Amino acid sequence: MKRNNKFFSMLYVVLCLAFFYLPILVTMIFSFNSSKSLTRFTGFSLRWYQELLGNGEVIKAVYVSVTIAIIATIVSTILGTITAIGLSKSKKVIKELLLSINNIPILNPEIVTAISLMLLFSSLGFRKGYLTMLLAHIAFCTPYVITSVYPKVRALDPNMANAAMDLGATPFQALTKVIVPMIKEGIFAGALLAFTMSFDDFVISYFVSGNGVKNISIVVYNMTKRINPTINALSTIVIVVIIVVLLLSNLLPKFKNKARKLNRKAVKIVSIVLVVAVTAGLIKWGFVAQSTHVLKVYNAGEYMDLSLLEDFEKEYDCTIVYETFESNEMMYTKLSSGETYDVLIPSDYMIERLIKEEYLQALDWKEIPNKKNLLDDVMNQSYDPGNRYSCPYFWGTVGILYDKTVVDEADLKDGWNLLRNPKYKGNIYMYDSERDSFMIALKALGYSMNTTNESEIEEAYQWLIDQRDTMDPIYAGDDVIDNMISGNKALAVVYSGDASYIISENPNLDYFTPEQGTNRWYDAMVITKDCSEVQLAHEFINFMISDKSALSNTEEVGYTSTVKSAFETMKEGDYAGISSYIPDTTNLNNEIFAYQKPKIKQKFAELWTKVKAK
Amino acid sequence: MKQYRNLIKPYLVWAFVVIVIPLILIALYAFTEDGNEVLTFSFTLENFRKFLEATYMSVIFKSFKLGILTTVICLGLGYPLAYIISKCPEKSQSLLILLVTIPEWINMLLRTYAWMNLLSDNGIINHLLGLLGISPVTMMYTDFSVVVGLVCNFMPFMIIPIHTSLSKMDKSFIEAAYDLGANKFQTFTKVIWKLSIPGVLNGIMMVFLLSISTFVIPKLLGGGQYMLIGNLIESQFISVGDWNFGSAISLILAVLILIFMSLMKKMDKDE
Amino acid sequence: MMNKLIELKNLTKNFDDQQVLRGINLDIYEKEFLTLLGPSGCGKTTTLRIIAGFEEPSDGEVLFNGIEISKLPPYKREVNTVFQKYALFPHLNVAENIGFGLNLKKVDKTVIAQKVERMLKMVGLEGFGKRDVTLLSGGQQQRVAIARALINEPKVLLLDEPLGALDAKIRKQMQVELKKIQQEVGITFIYVTHDQEEALSMSDTVVVMNNGEIQQIGSPTDIYNEPENRFVAGFIGESNIIEGTMIRDYLVAFDGFEFECVDKGFEDNEEIEVVLRPEDLDIVDPGQAKIRGIVRNITFKGVHYEILIETELRTYMVHTTDYAEVGREVGLKFGPEDIHVMCKMGSY
Repeated sequence: MKRNNKFFSMLYVVLCLAFFYLPILVTMIFSFNSSKSLTRFTGFSLRWYQELLGNGEVIKAVYVSVTIAIIATIVSTILGTITAIGLSKSKKVIKELLLSINNIPILNPEIVTAISLMLLFSSLGFRKGYLTMLLAHIAFCTPYVITSVYPKVRALDPNMANAAMDLGATPFQALTKVIVPMIKEGIFAGALLAFTMSFDDFVISYFVSGNGVKNISIVVYNMTKRINPTINALSTIVIVVIIVVLLLSNLLPKFKNKARKLNRKAVKIVSIVLVVAVTAGLIKWGFVAQSTHVLKVYNAGEYMDLSLLEDFEKEYDCTIVYETFESNEMMYTKLSSGETYDVLIPSDYMIERLIKEEYLQALDWKEIPNKKNLLDDVMNQSYDPGNRYSCPYFWGTVGILYDKTVVDEADLKDGWNLLRNPKYKGNIYMYDSERDSFMIALKALGYSMNTTNESEIEEAYQWLIDQRDTMDPIYAGDDVIDNMISGNKALAVVYSGDASYIISENPNLDYFTPEQGTNRWYDAMVITKDCSEVQLAHEFINFMISDKSALSNTEEVGYTSTVKSAFETMKEGDYAGISSYIPDTTNLNNEIFAYQKPKIKQKFAELWTKVKAK
Repeated sequence: MKQYRNLIKPYLVWAFVVIVIPLILIALYAFTEDGNEVLTFSFTLENFRKFLEATYMSVIFKSFKLGILTTVICLGLGYPLAYIISKCPEKSQSLLILLVTIPEWINMLLRTYAWMNLLSDNGIINHLLGLLGISPVTMMYTDFSVVVGLVCNFMPFMIIPIHTSLSKMDKSFIEAAYDLGANKFQTFTKVIWKLSIPGVLNGIMMVFLLSISTFVIPKLLGGGQYMLIGNLIESQFISVGDWNFGSAISLILAVLILIFMSLMKKMDKDE
Repeated sequence: MMNKLIELKNLTKNFDDQQVLRGINLDIYEKEFLTLLGPSGCGKTTTLRIIAGFEEPSDGEVLFNGIEISKLPPYKREVNTVFQKYALFPHLNVAENIGFGLNLKKVDKTVIAQKVERMLKMVGLEGFGKRDVTLLSGGQQQRVAIARALINEPKVLLLDEPLGALDAKIRKQMQVELKKIQQEVGITFIYVTHDQEEALSMSDTVVVMNNGEIQQIGSPTDIYNEPENRFVAGFIGESNIIEGTMIRDYLVAFDGFEFECVDKGFEDNEEIEVVLRPEDLDIVDPGQAKIRGIVRNITFKGVHYEILIETELRTYMVHTTDYAEVGREVGLKFGPEDIHVMCKMGSY
C-alpha cells in the first residue's frame, strides 16, 4: 500500500514535469530537424545552428537581451538593496508609502506597466531604443529586488550596524562589511529574480523599445510569420546554458567554494566586459548613431532578403539600421510617436496617408536610374499618382487559398461567399486585419471597399458577424502560413505573395481571387521628410530595384516583384504554374485601398474588435 | 543608524518618476480624448461609457472566466505536486523545485510556439494519434489550447509559494494532529491545508493576475477571435490607435485587480 | 505496586547508520510519573517518540496493556503528547485547539464546550477560550498544550521537554502544577528532560539514559544517593568521584586510607569507584581527619560556600555553610553512610 502510494506520487511528479518540459523538448528536437517543418522530423542536421550564426538580427537580439538583463540586474540589485536597508530605518509613514508604491508594478498587470512606461517615455520625448528598454527593465526589476531583500533586512538585529560602528567601522564599512554579507541570500535571490524577469520579458520591451533595438522575445514574436527553426536552435542553446549553470550551482556545493576564490577576479572581468559591451551597444544603437552614414529602414517583418542589406552596406560603405513592423498601423504609431526613419516600405493606403499628413518627401527619380526596370502595371496607381513619393517594392492581391483535395472547384464561383458555405464550417482561416476582412464583406455585398457609407459598413459588419456565428472561422495572423503549409484547414484568406510561397511548399493548394473584386495592393519604398541621408536613401531604392537585387528578393520572400526581369524569371522558373504570383490586373472590380479618415478608420477598427470579441 | 535613512532617497525619486507619474499619465489619458502621443486636456468620460458596451463587457467576462479556470486548474494540479515535493527528502526537494522553475527561465513565446506545433490540426500530437489510428482532434484555437498554454506557463507560480508554505511548516503540527487522533485525511484537511492557505492565496493571486492580463498566449494559441482584456488593450495601442480608450481599459483592469487583491488579502487575514 | 501499563522490550533504533537506541528494556506502571533523563542525544526523545508512534523501532517490542503496538499509527494509540514547542495550531484559537481531538471524534458540540471549559479551569486559563494562541505567553501556551492532550483522556501523557522554553521562575511554578495535574487526573506521565533537578523533584521513577542505553532506573533518592555508575553520579548533582578498592564488605580503600562504609556485595579487592557528595563532606581541623588538604578557593553560592581543597592526590569539592580561609590546611571528614561505592566502568 505504502509503496503503491509512493509509486503514484512519483508518477504524478513525472507527468507534471513532462507537461512542463514537453514544449521545451519539442523546441530542442526540432532545432536539429533537417527540414523547415516544425511538426515533422525529417532527419538530423545542424543547419539551423549554422544559420543562427549567420543571422545578424538574432545575434544582435541576444546581445541586447543579455546586456540589458545584466545591467538591469546589477542596477536594480544595488538600488533595491540600498533602498531596502534605508527602508528599515525610515519613519513608518514613508516606509509604508514607499512599500505600497513599490508594490504597484508587482501587482499591476504587466501590460498596464508596459503602457504606463510607454506613455512616460513618449511624454518625455525620449527616443525609444536601448536606453528606454534598459530604464524600463530597471523600473520593473527593482521592486522585485526590494521585496526579496527587505524581509531579510528587517530580520536583522537592529544593533548590527551600531556594533560595527562601535568597533570603528564607518557607516559605509558597516554597510558593506556587516549588513550586506548578512542579507546576501536575499540579495542573491532578488538578483536572480531580476535577471530572469528581464531576460524573459516580452510585454514591456515590446511597448517601450524601438529604433531597431530588439531583445530575443521581440525577434521571436516578429518571427511568427514563417517561423523558422533558427529560433529553436537559439533557444536550445539558451536552455542548455541555463540548465547547466543552474544544475552546477545547485548540485555542486564544492564548486561554490572554488567559485568564491575566483569571485573577485571574475567580478572584475565581468564588469570590464560589461562596460565595453554596453558602451559598444550605446554607440551602435543609442546616441551616436548619426555620426557616420547610417540609413534607417523600416519594413514589414520577413519582407526582405537580408543579405541584400549587407551587400548594400559594403557597396556604399554605410550602416543600415533595419527595423521591422507587424502592421502598417504599428509603423504609423511608431512614426507618429516621434521615431525617425529614412526609408519606409509601407502599403498603398498608408503611403496615401503619409503623403496627406506630410511625412514624406518627393523622390528624385533622376537618382533612381533603375526606374526603367519596373513593370508598367505597378506604376501610377491611385495612392500616389505619378509616383511622386513612392517606388513600388512588391505587389499583389488578397485572395482565397484553398485545398484542392477538399474544396469542390464548382464552389469557387461563389467568390467570397465561399467563406460562408456551410460545407466548410470550422475549416476556415480569416485574416486578422480589419481592412482586409471588411474588404471581403464589402466586396461580397457588391460595395466598394473604400466606402464611407455608414449603412454599407453596418451591413458588412453584419456579414462578418453572421459569418463568424455560422462558420466558426479562425482569425489568424501570419501563423496562417505555417498552418496552411501543414494543410490544417481547407480555406484561408491570404496575401498573394504568401500564397505563392505556401503553394510552393504544399502543392495541394491553389489560389484564386473572386470575380466580385479584391484588394490589389502595392507596397512601396518612400523617403521620410526628416531623412538625413537623402542621397543614400535614393541609392538604396535604386539598389533594391536593380535586376539582381529584385530577383534575390522575390526568390527569398515569395512576393511578386515589381521589376520586369525578376517577375518574368520567377513566372517561368520557380513559381511556374503558381497563379498567385501573377496579380490579376484585368478585373475592374479590384480596387486599391484608399486613405481612411481617422474617424472612419477607428470605426472599422472598433467594429472589427467587436467581431472578434463577440 | 539614521544615516542610512538617506539611502531611500534615490529610489523615492526614481519610483515617483517610473511608477507614480506613468500611472497618472494613464489616468489622464483615460479621462481625455483625441490624444495619441500628445496628451490633450479635453476631459471626457466617453472612454468609460464605451467600455460598458456589451462587446467589451463580454471581453471582461471572458477574461475573468478564463483567469478563474486557469487558476483553478493550476491549484488543482499544482497543490498535489507541491505536496508530494514537500514530502521528499531535502536534497531531492531542491532538485525538484529547480526542475519546476527551469522552464520559467525559457522564453514564454518559444514555449508557446512549441505548443502551437504540438496542438495544431496537423501537429505532432495529431500525427502521433494518427500513427495509433486515431482520427485527428481539433485542439488549436480552442479554449483547450489556450488553457493548456496558460497552465503550462503559470503553474510554477502556483507550485512555488505552496511548496514554500508546506516545507517550512513545523512537522510537529502534523505529529500533534496524529497524536490527537486525526487520521491522514483529517490531518490534511484540518491542519496541513489550513496552514498552507497563505501559500495557496499567494499562488492564486500570482496565477490569476498573470492569466487575466496576458495577451500573447491567447493570441497565439487562441487565434484573433480569442479577445481577452490584454488583447483589447494591446490592439487599442498597436492597431486601433486609440490611446485614450486603451488607457481607460488599462485603468479599469488595474482597479479590478486591485479590488481582487484586497479581497484576497482580507481572506488571508480572516483565516 | 500498580499494574504494568507499558513494556519496552529490547528496543533498538537506527537512523541511517547511527544506532540511537541500543536495547531499551523498561516497564512503565499505571499512575506513575516517570522521567527519562539524560544529556541530548542519549535517546530519550526517540524512546518517547516510539511510544507516541511517531517512529517505528528498528527492532524490539512495545507492549501496551500486554498488546504489541509498535506498528500502530499514533492516532490509534491511547497516548497523547505535549510537544517541546507545544505545536499549537496557529489557525485555531485556544478553545478550538483544546477541542481538536474531540472534534475529530465527532463528539457533540455542547459536550466539547463543557469539557474545554473544565480543562481551561484545570490549567488555570478560564476565559481564555477565544484567544489567539500565537498571542499567549510561553507558560500559557504550555497550559493549552497540556489541556489539549488531556481532554482526550489518554492513559498516558507524554511530555517532551515541555518546560524547556520557559524562564526559570515559571518553570518552577509549572513543575509544581504539572505534578498536581498528574495527581488530579491520575494517569501515567512520561516526561523527557535533560534537567536533573526537574527530574528529581517531580518523578516517581527516574530513568537515566546515556548513549542509547539505560544507565539506572530508580526513585529520585535512589538515583541521587546510590548512583550505580560514574555517569549517573556525574550527571546527577555534583560529586567527588574517586577510584578505589573494595577490600571486603563494609570496608573500602581510597586515597591511601581505609574507610568503613555501608556497601556490600562486591568481590573482595574489586576495583571500584567511590562517590562523595560535596554536601556530605565536613571541614575539620587537620588532626581530626584522615584526608588532609589546603583550601585553594572559596566561592559564595548563596546558601553555602563552595570550597576547593587540594590534597596530595586530587582536588575535593565541598559544600558547607562554614567559612574557610584560603591557604589554610584542613581535614575532610565524612561518615560511613556518606560513602557511595559503585561499579567501575569505562571512561565517562
